[in-house]
Amino acid sequence: MPTVATIDPVTRLEGHLKIEVKVDTVNGVQQVVDAWATGTMFRGFESILVNRHPWDAQHITERICGVCPVSHGMAAVLALESAARITAPANGRIMRNLVLGANYIQSHILHFYHLSAPDFIKGPDMPPWQPSWSADRRIDQSTTNTLVNHYVTALEMRRKAHEMGAIFGARLPHPPAFTQGGITTVPTAAAISRFKTYLNELTSFITNVYVPDVELLTSVYQDYFGIGRGVRNLLAYGVFDLDSAGNTKLLKRGRITGGSNSVQSVDVNAIAEQVTYSWYADSTNNLKPSVGRTTPQYPKNNAYSWLKAPRYNGVAYEVGALARMWVNGNYRGGISVMDRHLARANEARIVALAMQSWIGQIRVGQSVRTQASVPTSATSYGLTEAPRGAIGHWLQISGSKIARYQVVTPTCWNASPRDGAGKRGPIEEALIGTPVQNINEPVEVVRVIHSFDPCLSCAVHVMRPAEGATVFALGHYHGEDEIHEHDHAHVHEHSHG
Amino acid sequence: MKVTRRDFLKYCGVSAAALGLTTTELGLLEEALANPNGPTVLWLQGTACTGCSVSLMNRISSTDPKTVADLLINSVNLAYHPNLMALAGQPAAEVTEQAYNKGGYILVVEGGVPQAFGGATCLAWDYNGTPVTFQEAVQDLASRAAKIICVGQCASWGGIPAAPPNPTLVRGVKAATGKTTINIAGCPPHPDWIVWPVVQLLLGKTISLDSSGRPKLLYNRTVHDRCPRRDDDERRSGTTGRCLRPIGCRGPETRADCPSLLWNNRANWCIDANAPCIGCTQPTFPGTAPFYRNLGEADD
Repeated sequence: MPTVATIDPVTRLEGHLKIEVKVDTVNGVQQVVDAWATGTMFRGFESILVNRHPWDAQHITERICGVCPVSHGMAAVLALESAARITAPANGRIMRNLVLGANYIQSHILHFYHLSAPDFIKGPDMPPWQPSWSADRRIDQSTTNTLVNHYVTALEMRRKAHEMGAIFGARLPHPPAFTQGGITTVPTAAAISRFKTYLNELTSFITNVYVPDVELLTSVYQDYFGIGRGVRNLLAYGVFDLDSAGNTKLLKRGRITGGSNSVQSVDVNAIAEQVTYSWYADSTNNLKPSVGRTTPQYPKNNAYSWLKAPRYNGVAYEVGALARMWVNGNYRGGISVMDRHLARANEARIVALAMQSWIGQIRVGQSVRTQASVPTSATSYGLTEAPRGAIGHWLQISGSKIARYQVVTPTCWNASPRDGAGKRGPIEEALIGTPVQNINEPVEVVRVIHSFDPCLSCAVHVMRPAEGATVFALGHYHGEDEIHEHDHAHVHEHSHG
Repeated sequence: MKVTRRDFLKYCGVSAAALGLTTTELGLLEEALANPNGPTVLWLQGTACTGCSVSLMNRISSTDPKTVADLLINSVNLAYHPNLMALAGQPAAEVTEQAYNKGGYILVVEGGVPQAFGGATCLAWDYNGTPVTFQEAVQDLASRAAKIICVGQCASWGGIPAAPPNPTLVRGVKAATGKTTINIAGCPPHPDWIVWPVVQLLLGKTISLDSSGRPKLLYNRTVHDRCPRRDDDERRSGTTGRCLRPIGCRGPETRADCPSLLWNNRANWCIDANAPCIGCTQPTFPGTAPFYRNLGEADD
């Protein structure tokens, strides 16, 4: 008799995600035989943007996500520039790339050490690291101590990555310096020098600590090279424009199907969002984002997520660092949990090294911004990559105001529900076959989910298990690591506040 | 054997001396932490973007807690935080139930509380097979909290998700619960603004709030009050190094001490980067008026 286990909330990701897995024993191995990913939050940014001034777009859309605000800001200004038929001058383009790169470094470090590592090692004996599951810990105490030290150092490193990014971005998160036509910050020799100092320290950390730690983890958990395969289709819009038209990028645009080595082109018109299993009106099903609509409908028969299901020619694609590294030819190890972590670490190093050369390309005294005026009407889009994958903003201006704004985020691709053909989204598919030793501590399941670096604020609902299955709520945590009950210091009450 | 905070600090190679505490500060904090386990903090996320938590993680100061690591290790028991905690699923939710039963916890909320579709546009967790809306979770946990701190615009007043047409009927925690909240404004708030009330509560101090629930000490002066560009002649064209009021800067009506604190360890701040203030600490943020005015005509 299969059991459906619910994990809600899935922690150590951004936003709200619920996972249900149906677990059964197949060929003597207890494993996941079906899965449902539910985005459990919806805010309606696309509706909020309608009727606003187009130049509000980057500021508003940055607040879709506080972990990847730079990517949203970038997609927005690219869409605005396309609408106005302008491009940013070299300084503006380079400085934006540097801010985006700084956030990639911040995000990847955060993802490995703070979001993922606790799936594999026991942290310090206090909250929030305890209580924790104790299943399948294989790393010895001495190495664990080292990794915990690195976790603490990594907190400092990701803070510094944001400080570096703020030198040109003005502040992080939610940089206001990204603007239509370029950037608002004017570079100085002193700022460039400070940026280089931070970059050197971060490059050293990535090369000497982060990458080796990931390699260590993959060597201890080699079986995870065979877990979490997913749909094996990879999509990248490409990122870090190296020329004003965006024709050459550090990380290219392209598609991989079925895990093959041949890179195919990307046709933006092949992208559409299905809503068969999503809480949006069926009248909005299968629309291209350029004509997309967001009409929440709850409840709705069979629907189980606030996420729409983006599909390319009707097919699900995984996005993220692994997709970019495959498409770019930098990584062809495989497609799995550990391949995702390795690809991310390698990408952090590649981006940091590229930033070393970009910082030398800024020309003090040259323009940072091309003047723009608001078109009366226009239709455009901006495509780029967030640390966790392909991101696109589709814009329509009418009467000089935003008439339509649609955002397709990376986690919408990855954590998508089923489509009209009943085909699973990438995370759902990646969970199939995942072994589950102890249904009360399904650490294997969270390891698969975390490998995608989900960021749910971009998207996001409840479902009922299939008939005949037992619903199983994870049991209360018991174990040797349970922290002692103790009296909490009471906070004094005062009449103010 | 349970590892104490002191042990953990030792094994991270950090000493109290390295934390640079003065004798007075050390004494006060040690007193506050007489129970070495510190007060329990439950940090919930509603219709959030996580920017407030990311900003908190950027904390760096010469006063304690100097970094977010210091905060977590030395100051509080962060029993529940969706981005950091080890547990997942119902066991994680049960941590909040344990705190609720004991009472006396500090409830921190990031993100707003939506009402649309019966609250189903934001779920907190699944409990015994039933989804619990964020609205239900906040109303429950607010009822027995010793203090409620709203971090960011969304928890305080609804924030950007509450901008017209407010598709999810989202509101701030005070509106959703009727409870008094300490509102740490900002989108995101500066990490120092987030940490300050926590330290005040640990030291048993009163926090005086303005009419919008913001700590007066943090949100008293406007950005314009101490802006280094306030004496610039607005009639001069251009934005580089210039007063940004001609292009829509909201500094004159925005209460925040950004010009003194600066951002990201003093790396920069909006005005210095020629980015006009968008008023992100005001209860009415974002408003419907455009953030920019006349930018097309402004010179570099």
